Amino acid sequence: MANCELPAERRRACLGFGLPLAFLLLAASLVLAANGAQEGGAVTKAVEYRHFPVIGSRVAVWIIAQLHLMFGAFVLAVPMFALIIEFIGYKTGDKRYDQLAYEFTRLLSVSFSFTASLGALLTFMLFILYPKVMNYLTQIFSWTFFPYVLLFFLEAVFLYSYYYGWGKFHPVTHLLIGLALNLVGIGIIFIADAWLTFMNTPRGIDQAGHLVNLWEAINNYIWMPINIHRLIANISFGGSIAAAYGAYRFLASSTPEERAHYDWMGYVGNFIAISALLPLPFAGYWLGTEIYAYSQTLGVVLMGGTFSWLFIIQAVLIGNLFLAANYYLWVSMQRIEGAERYYRFIKYLLASITLCFLVWATPHSLVATVQEARAMGGQHHPILGVLGVMSAKNTAVNILILTTYISFLLYRRGNKEPTVSWARTGNLIQFAIFAFAVVFVIFLGVYGYFVEAKVRIRLSVPQVLTVLLTMIVVTLIDVFMFKNARIKGPIRWGEMPARSQYALFFIAITFAWTMGLMGYVRSGMRQHWHVYNVMKDTSPDAYTPTLGFAANVITITVLIFFSFIAVIFWLTGLTSKKSSGAKWEASA
Amino acid sequence: MRTTIKIFLFTVAVSLFYTYVGHMVPQKEFHPPMTIELRADLTPAELAEIGRQIVAGKGTCLTCHTIGADKPGRFPDLGGIGARAAHRKPGYSDVDYLAESLYRPNAYIVPGFAPGMPQVNKPPIGLTDQEILAVIAYLQSLGGTPTVTLKTKLKWAGETATQETAPAPAGGTEGAGGGPQALFTKYLCTTCHKLDAPGKLVGPSLYDVGSRLSKGEIYEAIMDPDATVAPGFPPGIMSATLKANKFYQKVTPAELKAMVDYLASLKGDK
Repeated sequence: MANCELPAERRRACLGFGLPLAFLLLAASLVLAANGAQEGGAVTKAVEYRHFPVIGSRVAVWIIAQLHLMFGAFVLAVPMFALIIEFIGYKTGDKRYDQLAYEFTRLLSVSFSFTASLGALLTFMLFILYPKVMNYLTQIFSWTFFPYVLLFFLEAVFLYSYYYGWGKFHPVTHLLIGLALNLVGIGIIFIADAWLTFMNTPRGIDQAGHLVNLWEAINNYIWMPINIHRLIANISFGGSIAAAYGAYRFLASSTPEERAHYDWMGYVGNFIAISALLPLPFAGYWLGTEIYAYSQTLGVVLMGGTFSWLFIIQAVLIGNLFLAANYYLWVSMQRIEGAERYYRFIKYLLASITLCFLVWATPHSLVATVQEARAMGGQHHPILGVLGVMSAKNTAVNILILTTYISFLLYRRGNKEPTVSWARTGNLIQFAIFAFAVVFVIFLGVYGYFVEAKVRIRLSVPQVLTVLLTMIVVTLIDVFMFKNARIKGPIRWGEMPARSQYALFFIAITFAWTMGLMGYVRSGMRQHWHVYNVMKDTSPDAYTPTLGFAANVITITVLIFFSFIAVIFWLTGLTSKKSSGAKWEASA
Repeated sequence: MRTTIKIFLFTVAVSLFYTYVGHMVPQKEFHPPMTIELRADLTPAELAEIGRQIVAGKGTCLTCHTIGADKPGRFPDLGGIGARAAHRKPGYSDVDYLAESLYRPNAYIVPGFAPGMPQVNKPPIGLTDQEILAVIAYLQSLGGTPTVTLKTKLKWAGETATQETAPAPAGGTEGAGGGPQALFTKYLCTTCHKLDAPGKLVGPSLYDVGSRLSKGEIYEAIMDPDATVAPGFPPGIMSATLKANKFYQKVTPAELKAMVDYLASLKGDK
């Protein structure tokens, strides 16, 4: 492992340690203050809400909370794939992987300070602006604050040990520190998820809202689905930001070696992002199922009522993600000698993605002019209205996932020629599996129109399992089929047009916007409740704003986030300018 | 630096594109439901009218139920429930059955449907006992005749989680949540049409429009006023007024449906 420590980094380490510690002190003092107010502060008790100037309390907390979540997602996700990449480097002995893992980790140092600062600010604002809610949540969750603080402290210790210990510990010791870092990070997110999921699906309390069972309050209906959904989404988001960093450095590179290195980094980051994206809809199904299991009313508000149009926006976002991810893979095939033979399939893949995208984004009820509404006989289009229901949308999403997987498969095969005797049979079997999966998924989708709702909802499970199984089986066949494959030509890393790197930025921005949108709906679905069914929101902001207003706030948040990210990229770039290109050349 | 600026502009452009998408979908604010104050001397018919507002508003009943639809939605269609209710469960009167359906919705599940309706007297809906009586009166009116008043005693009354209001003294009703009637004020329909009595203003009275026109004809009369003009009234005025008020841009499908349903329910003195 390379020893890349610089004196300036030591100074930032002090800053990095200082901010989290400041956060811990602040959080602890606020918790104590809240408890004190709850026990004896008659004056504080009377204050339920305070007003934040100009933009109001809700928008102020909304923006800070979302920024904190975005940075938190990045800081918790990067160590996961950095550890895996480092492990690959350790097992294969390829120094490039070690260097790449280190470069990913380098992004964490400053990001961790940003996350902690935003966390402190969020805590501060919540206790000041929403004392009634925070007093109540403190009553329920006060005992979880202590392990949270301890884990946060350990996170700082392991993170900086992992980063500054690069090349100084035995590789296995270093990997174990990375593992500890990840376990602690998962612990942190699980505790924080308990607080926020309790607000949506509270459990473990009596009818008056008093705590009866802390574990039930933590292990509420959507706690584990949110945990899993967030872990996967964090990896996806973190991968996309890391890929954007690679793209930024690629575009700013002045030598072919640097371009090659950062092209590779962008590719790996994007690979991680898209790999995690594929199972994300399935985690989303589970989350949705648990919401319905807790309260059909809440489920209907989410999917069929107030927020139904939000999911059309989400369809546009996710559709764009898939489109951009596929586009990047297709452009990437240009740098692979031998991949030309697969170009002819791209038009079919594009047609499939476009079709699925259109179906997914078709609303059930249309916004129509007077003449259109009269011609249609209502708000449902006689033909397109059929596509605006879950049977069609689930089918479209599953085929979209399969199409993206095929794009990746073609990319992976780009410069490889199988040498096994059963290659033709293997290809036929793979084709048959794909064909069966597509036909079966479509069949279930069509069948869904002819059965009751309770049966129809369950059909998404075999659809999902079919797609997952297809990807697993086809991958296994592919791995064995291309073992000892003949290499038709090298991958010319760095020989990529600039537009491919903008595709990576597009993916990162879209991920950030999607996070903002889903963060909004996760919180907004409670409507006029702070804690659903338990504590009403009686503030002036108790109403649910329009989706256009939410879109404005999300865009502002995303732009602030990327402004901060630009600072992080710049700071991180200062330390890696001299080393990366030379190392790529030396180890490639 | 040039690369950084290009990336920044690209980020802004993509974000603005998604903002644009966010503004292209229907825009509506959702306000917390407010408790409807009820006079102590309301007649069953008046109570049914308030119940209709609760069903469409605070009760959120129409999120899952339909009224008079060809195909039921998530839960059973409520059209004609006033006539069916007395025969659903042996030994239950229509009021008993409807009350149980609201306080204990999963005690009896209509064949072909899954359980899942929440207790309406508990959060998040949290109707008061008086509001539930109003809903029962309205449900009775769907195919039957409302009989309940605020003096009617229900077996499950008193179990409400939030008794936010007591019956108010006589002096008018207020649907603070904004029922269909409020829409006619919002869109200035009542400037030209009477809703509660015969007699013409600029346009014909609508107090009996439900007995004269079908829902489809009412829908057409709103969406294309000049397609069929009532005898004795000049064409063009309503369409020009609605366009000038930007009614067609502002009205949501749900509002339009509520207005049509409401007008269809206006039967005059019948």
